[in-house]
Amino acid sequence: MTTIVEATSLKKTYMLGKIPVEALRGVNLKIESDDFLAILGPSGSGKSTLLNLIGALDKPTGGKLSIEGIDLSSLNDNQLADIRRRIGFVFQFFNLIPRFTARANVELAMSIADVSRAERRKQAEELLETVGLKGRMGHKPAELSGGEQQRVAIARALANNPRFLLMDEPTGNIDSKTANEIMHLVKRLNEEKGVTIIMVTHDQQLARETKRTVQMFDGVIAKEIVN
Amino acid sequence: MKTRDVFAYSFSAIKLRKLRAGLTTLGVVIGIAAIVALLSITQGLQIAITRQLQTGFATDTLIVSTGGGFGGAFGQGALGGATSSGFTLVVNDTEIINNITDVDTSTAIIQRTGQIKSGTIVQDVTIVGVDFAEYQNIYSSTFVPENGGSIPSNPENDRVVIGSRINDPQENGTSLFTVNSTVDIIWLNATGFPIVRNETYIGNVTAILPEIGGFGVGGPSDYSIYIPISQAQSFFGTDECNVIVVKLTDDEEATIDSVSAATKETFKNQVSVTSAVAVLNTLSSVFSIIQLFLAGIAAISLLVAGIGIMNIMIVSLMERTREIGILKALGTKSRTVLLIFLNESAIIGLIGAVIGIATGWGLANVVALAFRGGGLFMGNQAVASAGMTITPVLTATVLLGALGFGVGVSVIFALYPAWRASKLKPVEALRYE
Ligand SMILES: Nc1ncnc2c1ncn2[C@@H]1O[C@H](COP(=O)(O)OP(=O)(O)O)[C@@H](O)[C@H]1O
Ligand SMILES: [Mg+2]
Repeated sequence: MTTIVEATSLKKTYMLGKIPVEALRGVNLKIESDDFLAILGPSGSGKSTLLNLIGALDKPTGGKLSIEGIDLSSLNDNQLADIRRRIGFVFQFFNLIPRFTARANVELAMSIADVSRAERRKQAEELLETVGLKGRMGHKPAELSGGEQQRVAIARALANNPRFLLMDEPTGNIDSKTANEIMHLVKRLNEEKGVTIIMVTHDQQLARETKRTVQMFDGVIAKEIVN
Repeated sequence: MKTRDVFAYSFSAIKLRKLRAGLTTLGVVIGIAAIVALLSITQGLQIAITRQLQTGFATDTLIVSTGGGFGGAFGQGALGGATSSGFTLVVNDTEIINNITDVDTSTAIIQRTGQIKSGTIVQDVTIVGVDFAEYQNIYSSTFVPENGGSIPSNPENDRVVIGSRINDPQENGTSLFTVNSTVDIIWLNATGFPIVRNETYIGNVTAILPEIGGFGVGGPSDYSIYIPISQAQSFFGTDECNVIVVKLTDDEEATIDSVSAATKETFKNQVSVTSAVAVLNTLSSVFSIIQLFLAGIAAISLLVAGIGIMNIMIVSLMERTREIGILKALGTKSRTVLLIFLNESAIIGLIGAVIGIATGWGLANVVALAFRGGGLFMGNQAVASAGMTITPVLTATVLLGALGFGVGVSVIFALYPAWRASKLKPVEALRYE
């Protein structure tokens, strides 16, 4: 097992005009390969902020964050973009490109990483098959249900063989039956394909399916449970 | 992202908003079409006029006149005459001019507007008095007899040489004259104003000129009849000539300059000397200015289109903030986002420029056709009936320039919106509603 993500005293303070908002007040977290971590916590406790930092989408205002041993604070914008290519991000609101088909959305992630046309078509089809959308590849997001859109998003997140998947309330916008199916898929990815997963949720039920759960409260990790 | 993928991505964004992209493109189309139409028409016009002038010119000649240079030297009904100081050129001044170095020969021209009558047909013509021998020596390719006539060196006074359009005014191949036909030559003598008299004599046709075309400067014209200089002196009752045509030993610029200067000095700067080459040069520089001016006006419309592009790109940037966030979250570099936006604008510019060039070219041809129909541009019957046609010209410079300008303006006006798009922070862009 290798350490993939390591956060030490990680801080993030937003400025709301002149008022500082301390979203993270010193988070310590270590994630190993093959891990399946759930981050639980009430709304506003800093879960998304933490995930955005780990996903290199935002920069911390204090503490240290390394991914695969690389200190993110030492990287410039171009290098951060390169890191993002190797991280799979799944959002609550899917964030698919509406004018692209399911396949084109998955291919886009690979085209950004300069994968050849033939190769990305082949991989996109394989990935969509993995998430159970074999027959929906030519559909645009508007022609897909919420659950299906999230599956496309998961396929896209897996596109460039990411070091790990970051999921911010992936089932937050989906009915509970579909949410269970998605959860099943995610679990399978972790168990069968060895994909490391960090998932934010506020559903205790779903969190119990993971290997490990941390509880966030007011910008810090309040407690850790190994399932 | 590979270039080809950037292009495909940009194109998909344009395709999504066809109407908007279409209207933005239209702005570029109008600007480019205006530039191309104006430039190709003026270039065509310049070539047409230059060609017309060249037919009537000999490059190794100078025109000496007392009038205002080019205008005074102009073939039909030239002004000439006295300067304000009362200086006049007289027929015998050719002897002085012939003594100037590098002058081969010279000949005086006296001309008046008048009429000729043959049978019942009366035509307005320019009556030109010249030394037949010298004139033929200078204009050896145009002042020549056609079909059996002859231009005698020592003509009797009643001999006349007739321009081709006077012989065939309808331009339908019928001839009003043959060699040895007689013709009434009429000149309205207003020298004794207020007493005005019709002077007249009967001429005898000795030659008919071939069709020359163009409006000659000093040289033979299709609309003139030529009478011996001595006859002109007595008929018009004057020794004053309108112009003296000088033939040089060669058409080198140095020769033209030195003889021009020497001639002016000889006549104490009271004459103006016009060279065919100088006229053509002046004409072409005038045309350059006109072209620049017209293209400048058209370019302004393109700038307006550029502002339209900028406006659209800013709107598009706001609409697509989330999309930019997604691209960045997937690892797209700022530089690539910039390229995507610039590319969208460049595509619009390119399509607009291509359609604009085609439209402008079409427009130029329509205008040229209308011109052919009736001398629309110059309102000048002579120009139209002289068979002057404009063929619009699209040079490679104009073509590539229009393409480059269309794309360039589009890209420049997209720089700011594209730069802003590229600078968006991923989290903030993703949160944007
Ligand atoms: N861009 C921002 N500007 C100001 N405050 C923010 C911003 N993003 C988040 N916050 C604040 O930071 C805190 C943590 O937010 P977040 O990480 O989104 O919580 P969670 O995902 O756990 O609901 C909240 O108080 C929120 O209002
Ligand atoms: Mg959140």
